[in-house]
Amino acid sequence: MLWRKLLRDLKDNKAAYIACVVVIGIGLMVFTFSAIVLENLQAAKDDFYRDYNFADGFIRVRGIPDAEINRIKQIEGVAYLEGRLVKDVRVLLPGKDESIFLRLVSTVPGEREGLNRVQMLKGEEPDGRSRDLVVAPDFFAANELNLGDILPVIAAGHIYDLRISGVGQSPEFVYALRTAQDIYPNPETFGIAHVPLSVMRSIFQEGESYNDLVFSLNPGYSYEDVEARMKPRLERYGLESMYPKKDQVSEVILNQELDQMRGMVTTLPVLFLFVAAVILYILIKRMVEQQRGQIGTLKAFGYTNREILVHYISYAVIIGIAGGILGGLSGIWISFPLTELYKEFFSLPGLESHFSLKYMLADILMATSFSLVAGYFAGTDILKLQPAEAMRPPTPPEGGKTWLEQQQLYWNCLNIQGKMATRNIFRNKARAFFTMLGITFAFAMIATTWYFQAITEVMITDQFVKVQTHSAKVVFSSPQAKDAVVREIGRFPGVNRVEPVLEVPALLRHNWHEKGSVIMGLSQDSQMYNILTDSGEKLHPPSNGVLLSSRLAELLEVKQGDFIEIDSFYNGGKAVNVEVVDVVPQYLGVNAFMEIDALSALLKQSKMATSVLVDLEQDSLSALKDKYQDSERIAVVEDRGAMLATFNELMESYGYMIYVLAIFALITGFAVVYNSSIVSLSERQRELASLRVLGMSPGEVLQILTFEQWFISIFAMITGIPLTILLIKGMADSMNNDMFSIPFIVEFFPFIMAILGTAFFVVIAQWTINKKIHKLSMVEVLKERD
Amino acid sequence: MDVILLGEKLSKWYQMGEVRVNALRNVSFEVLQGEFIVVLGPSGSGKSTMLNIIGGMDSVSEGELYYRGQPLHSVAEKALTLYRRNTVGFIFQFYNLMPNLTAYENVALAVEIADSPLPIEEVLEDVGLGERAEHFPSQMSGGEQQRVAVARAIAKNPEILLCDEPTGALDFETGVQVLRLLKKFNQKYKKTVMVITHNAGIAEMADRVFVMKDGKLAQIRRIENPVSPDEVSW
Repeated sequence: MLWRKLLRDLKDNKAAYIACVVVIGIGLMVFTFSAIVLENLQAAKDDFYRDYNFADGFIRVRGIPDAEINRIKQIEGVAYLEGRLVKDVRVLLPGKDESIFLRLVSTVPGEREGLNRVQMLKGEEPDGRSRDLVVAPDFFAANELNLGDILPVIAAGHIYDLRISGVGQSPEFVYALRTAQDIYPNPETFGIAHVPLSVMRSIFQEGESYNDLVFSLNPGYSYEDVEARMKPRLERYGLESMYPKKDQVSEVILNQELDQMRGMVTTLPVLFLFVAAVILYILIKRMVEQQRGQIGTLKAFGYTNREILVHYISYAVIIGIAGGILGGLSGIWISFPLTELYKEFFSLPGLESHFSLKYMLADILMATSFSLVAGYFAGTDILKLQPAEAMRPPTPPEGGKTWLEQQQLYWNCLNIQGKMATRNIFRNKARAFFTMLGITFAFAMIATTWYFQAITEVMITDQFVKVQTHSAKVVFSSPQAKDAVVREIGRFPGVNRVEPVLEVPALLRHNWHEKGSVIMGLSQDSQMYNILTDSGEKLHPPSNGVLLSSRLAELLEVKQGDFIEIDSFYNGGKAVNVEVVDVVPQYLGVNAFMEIDALSALLKQSKMATSVLVDLEQDSLSALKDKYQDSERIAVVEDRGAMLATFNELMESYGYMIYVLAIFALITGFAVVYNSSIVSLSERQRELASLRVLGMSPGEVLQILTFEQWFISIFAMITGIPLTILLIKGMADSMNNDMFSIPFIVEFFPFIMAILGTAFFVVIAQWTINKKIHKLSMVEVLKERD
Repeated sequence: MDVILLGEKLSKWYQMGEVRVNALRNVSFEVLQGEFIVVLGPSGSGKSTMLNIIGGMDSVSEGELYYRGQPLHSVAEKALTLYRRNTVGFIFQFYNLMPNLTAYENVALAVEIADSPLPIEEVLEDVGLGERAEHFPSQMSGGEQQRVAVARAIAKNPEILLCDEPTGALDFETGVQVLRLLKKFNQKYKKTVMVITHNAGIAEMADRVFVMKDGKLAQIRRIENPVSPDEVSW
């Protein structure tokens, strides 16, 4: 019978309980889909790496002969070593103006033991006898290619026609970026292709040598052991870079994404479940108080304390189970499209979602235990009462004046409703506190989501309006004599200004901290790349020492005046020490800065440049591209518009996530305010009905409740500000990576949005309560004994 | 006849903030098996407190209380719960039905935990509510609700039926109906019934009358020829 009572009680208060179920559901949904997608990604990655032999180490050299490779293979700890040719070429696709590039990676047809093997997804592996290649699936799809299509590529100054024989993916290019400075894969303009070694050699006329090595380690050997033995042997072949698996671009980005998701799995759901537990606690505590008489009767009939407690906890458990099922099902459901979305970013062939009974059960278990705790604490109080005492109405809460009443100025401003409301808050401190917590949380969630929306705007405008003001950037395939290229490009019609840039990939060290980065050499009077301080003041690149981005300084734990060690293949592995002259903010990218000639000198090189920044008339851009983009010395001509477009696209994908979170926050806030009003209303029915009898209008009665809520909400908004700052810092910490670091800047807009959002859900909640007050029957309420 | 309840020097006080309220002072009594007892007294005289203590709903501050020789004043809450579950039935002035259970379900709620209950349908027939079994409290009149409460108490088949102002909220006609049910239970099953009231008229149907005043048992009066409920008037 108690079960029937329970079900009917739930039905009578369905809106309040449904709100609670929804909040639990949202929390668990976020948990479920992030956990499942995380698991999917991790599993797909692990399987792919294992089955297709992802290498342990990567080496880039100018050229190394076959014979030497066989000798290096013998080095202790090396399990397998493979020489490759890796070359970027331009593709001439009919009907496309923009530069499209393919990175050709050599393969050995028929090799089954090799590293970074290609998983064939479509078509056939080339046999090496004809000029066939295998392209990566994202490039294949983005450019609407078909098997058998001919791709004309420009290699070593000639055009070759390569035929697509298949589509395949290698674990090395799960996240395919053209350069480490890129942020976002753009499969329309850059892709990976696997070409038989014999074909590569015939195209590039390379003979028996390689420019790229990959190796795997024997068990029990670390990368560092092998690196130390290998490096001296490689120096003479023009070692450009050597790094372990964990620093490989695709792997780095994949791991960053996994880390971010791990952060999301652990924090967000806990916050939502906490709010749900608070709501549930308030609801059940109120129900227990309201049903004092019924509890007394049950006790009088000989129901044991345990039976009664179990009954009231059952409410919480049912809500918990419902929330768990809702969260589990919706989370699993969303994990499918979300996994699909991840396929756009990461080319993991085995990546797919599936129904997960494990998470369904985990959700139910989590929701149930949270609810159990909330139910237990809410229900346990009344059991201490004697049955006879339980049947009497509760003694009125302690009277006496609240401290606010001492504040004459405040107190005198209030009408009678305000005074009643103020006292109510202080008589129900626990509930007021929990309601405040709930609203604080919702406020902070809204403010945080809008902050990220606002800050991405700031970051992009900062980068492209204040920092990088060039209209095009010409990137060379290898370092060029600085003055010659500046002169040459400066002569191009329509060019107003040319500034050389030297970008040096290097390992920066300080004590035991080490970080790979790119040192940017800029000219003293650089106008197209501006280094700015927090206050927007322009700094000149130093000739004596380096400037570090604040994230880099943080990672290396250095401050102004410290010395760091720079290790780059330009200075032949002999590290040089240099002073950190200042630390500057940098939102996009993580760099160190120096004056260009000083950087060349530091590396004991002649004055050189790896790219130039160009300011030119808009209509000269395509002419500049046409002239240079096919030149062998030039890797790419990047224009500003294309870069901005790529960025905006990336930010948009974050945008939808922000709106979804904001909506969740609104629902949560509504649920908190609605439930606390329902509770206040049912608790004070008699009081409010009496006021109606005395002649107050429903509106005036509502004022007591609304005053209370606005009072609590204003406090909640004030406490929400520090919580927002905490949340932003926490989330920024977990999101910051080598591509961007999110700064904390005081922005008013997010807080204004949060105030509006909070006001919105408070008003909506009050509006629903208003309808209930109108329905309040004075006669019934006053007749009833509660 | 056997002594079913024995109270010796029962006292009960409540601490209300800084004030001590003495609800019961030094009350001693005996109740026999199958007796019909009416407790009379103005409000605040300690009637309800005494009933609550007898019913195991409240504890005594001082004194001793025995049910068939078993002490009730010194036992743990668990034993009191069992006592309420198996021995006592309660009827309250304001019915105290579960508002979202039907008449039948309200009775079933009490029967579920009882040792040797009476058949629910039969009891509902007895109180004249066979037809109204599927109605909710809000769909019934006060008299009907109180009859459900009587059915709920009787269906447990308790040794002692305790009634706190059972007619207090009812009109005369309905009140008599309820009293008739109580008397019937008392005579048909030979069970002890104690009725609290401030209504002196009802006292005439009792075997004995306890008169309470200021927390004390002022007088115990035997009624030589108890009248039937139909002859009671107030």
